[in-house]
Amino acid sequence: MNAEIDATSEKFLRGKYAIVGVGETPYTRGSGTTTRALGTYAVRRAIEDAGLRMDDIDGMLSYSGNDSIPSTAVAGDLGIRLNFYMDVMGGGSSTEALIGIAMGVIEAGMCKTVVIFRSMNGYSQIRIGGTGRGSGASNLSGDGLFGRAYGQSSAAQAFAQTFMRHMYDYGTTPEQIAHVKAIHSEHASNNPKAYYKHRVTVDDVLSSRMIVKPLHLLDCCVETDNATAIVVTRMDRARDCKHMPATILSVVGRCCKPRIDNHYQAGPISTVAGHYAKEILWPNAGVGPDDVDLTGSYDAFTFTTMLQLEDYGFCEKGDGGEYVSSGIMRLGGARPNNTSGGHLCEGYTHGMNMVIENVRQLRGEIDDSCPTDTNGKRQHTYDYSTGGCRQVRDPEITANLGWAMPGTGSALVMAKGER
Amino acid sequence: MDLVKPIPRPSTTTRPFWDGLNERKVQIQRCDACDSWVFYPRTRCPSCLSDLLIWREVSGQGVLYTYTLARQPTAPHFADETPQQLAVVELDEGVRMTSTLVNVEPSDIVIGMRLQPYFDQVTDDVTLLRYQPG
Ligand SMILES: [Zn+2]
Repeated sequence: MNAEIDATSEKFLRGKYAIVGVGETPYTRGSGTTTRALGTYAVRRAIEDAGLRMDDIDGMLSYSGNDSIPSTAVAGDLGIRLNFYMDVMGGGSSTEALIGIAMGVIEAGMCKTVVIFRSMNGYSQIRIGGTGRGSGASNLSGDGLFGRAYGQSSAAQAFAQTFMRHMYDYGTTPEQIAHVKAIHSEHASNNPKAYYKHRVTVDDVLSSRMIVKPLHLLDCCVETDNATAIVVTRMDRARDCKHMPATILSVVGRCCKPRIDNHYQAGPISTVAGHYAKEILWPNAGVGPDDVDLTGSYDAFTFTTMLQLEDYGFCEKGDGGEYVSSGIMRLGGARPNNTSGGHLCEGYTHGMNMVIENVRQLRGEIDDSCPTDTNGKRQHTYDYSTGGCRQVRDPEITANLGWAMPGTGSALVMAKGER
Repeated sequence: MDLVKPIPRPSTTTRPFWDGLNERKVQIQRCDACDSWVFYPRTRCPSCLSDLLIWREVSGQGVLYTYTLARQPTAPHFADETPQQLAVVELDEGVRMTSTLVNVEPSDIVIGMRLQPYFDQVTDDVTLLRYQPG
C-alpha cells in the first residue's frame, strides 16, 4: 500500500515539534458558566499538565463556529503576555490545522510556545446546525441561492447526501456503520469523563429515531458544553516538559476537494477530502496507514468516521463499511478508533478531544479507572470490559483525521517520544 | 409566529437563471472557450478562467444523483415540508444542483431515477426549480 512513500528523508518539520500539554473541562449539558471560565480552566489545565508556568506561554490560538471566547480574555485571566494570538473561524478540522499554524509561527520566530483552545457551550447556548434558530427569513445570495432556498441548512442534511451516495456506489449498509457508535460507546464506558457512558448495540442504533436518512438519532454525535486545550512547542523545549512528548510527524490543515465552493460538482460526492490529504499526510510523516496503532477519525456522525478511514487509505475505497464493522476499531482490536468515545459519546469539541486522547494514549497515561501505584502512576489492566481499562498496549504511532465537511479535512500523525 | 422561508435574491450574475425559471425555462451557463457547462452561475469559467460564459437554455432533465429525507427540519420554516425530500440532481449536461423532489412518495425515490423540472412559483418574483419523476 505504501510503496511510493519515501520514509528515508526528513520532510519539513517531521519530529521537530510536539504536543506537551493537554487539558479539558468536564463534558456537560448546562455548564452553568461562561465560555470564558471554561476556556480559562482548560488552558490552565493544559499548561500545568505540560509542567510549564503561565509565563512560559507566549502564543495562543482558538477557533469557533458558534459561541467562543477570544484569546485575549483567556490570556488576561491567566496573566499571560502574548507575542502572538489569533482567533479563527471554523469547526471540525480546525484542531489539526491550528497545530500546523502553531508550528509555523514558532518556526518563524514569532513566539515560543502556543496553547490552542476551543471553548463552547455547544448545548446550552448556540447549537451547531441551528436547530430551532429562527433565522430563515433572510434574502439569499451566493451559493445559498442553491441550497438554503430548498431548505437545506444543517450539516446532517448536507452530509447525508454523501452518505446516501456512498451506500449506492459501494453497497455500504446502515448496519455496518452502526458499529461505529456501538464501538465508541464501548470505549466511552471506560471513560469516566464521557457524557454518555452506557454501551449501546448495533440494534439500538438501527431502532433509534430516523433523523436525516440514513442517520438515526444514535448515528449523530452528542452536543455538550466544554472547553479543551493543548500546548504545542518545539522539541528542544518539549524535552524539558513533564511528560514524554507526543511528537508531531506530519500535519495537514483544511485540505480540500476541487470546487470547494460546491464540492460535489467535481468528482464523486462519496469521496471526501482525505483522498487528497493523504498525499500530504503520509509522505510527510514517513509512515503509512499500516504503521498506525490507533486512529481518531472524527465522528460528528458514524459515517464520517468510516469515510475518512477509507479515503486516508486504511482500507480500499468502498470497503469502509467492512472496515468499521470488522472489530478492528475496538479496544483490543488491531487499530482502535476514538478510544475516548469521541464526539458520539464523550463530548463535542470540534475534534480537539480526539487529539487529547491520542496524546494520553502515546504517553501510556489514559485517565481510566485502573488503579494507581504509590507514585500516582496508573497500572493499566488492559481489561476492556465495562468500567475497565481503555489504554492501548504500547502505541507508537497515532493518526487523527479531522472533518469539517465532505470537501474539507485536516489530519495529524503523532509518535511516542522523541524520534 | 409567521415564518417566512428564505427567498433567493438574484444578483447581476445569477439573474438570468431566476428570470428563466419565471418563464418556465432552465438556463445554465456554458463556457464558449472550453465547451464546459458551469453551475452555479459565476463570472468566470472555473475550468479555463474564460469570461465567455453564455446562458443557454437546456431541457432541465436529469437523474437523481443522491438525496436524503430530513425528518427534523433544521429551520422551522420548513416544518410544513417534512419529510424534506432534499436531492442533488445531475442534469444531462453533467452539472449537479440541490433541489427538492415533489410528486413522489419517499418509498419510490431511488438514486439514478429520471427526473424532470417542476417549476414552483413561490412569490411574484421567484420560481424555485424542484424536480419530479419523468
Ligand atoms: Zn472554460
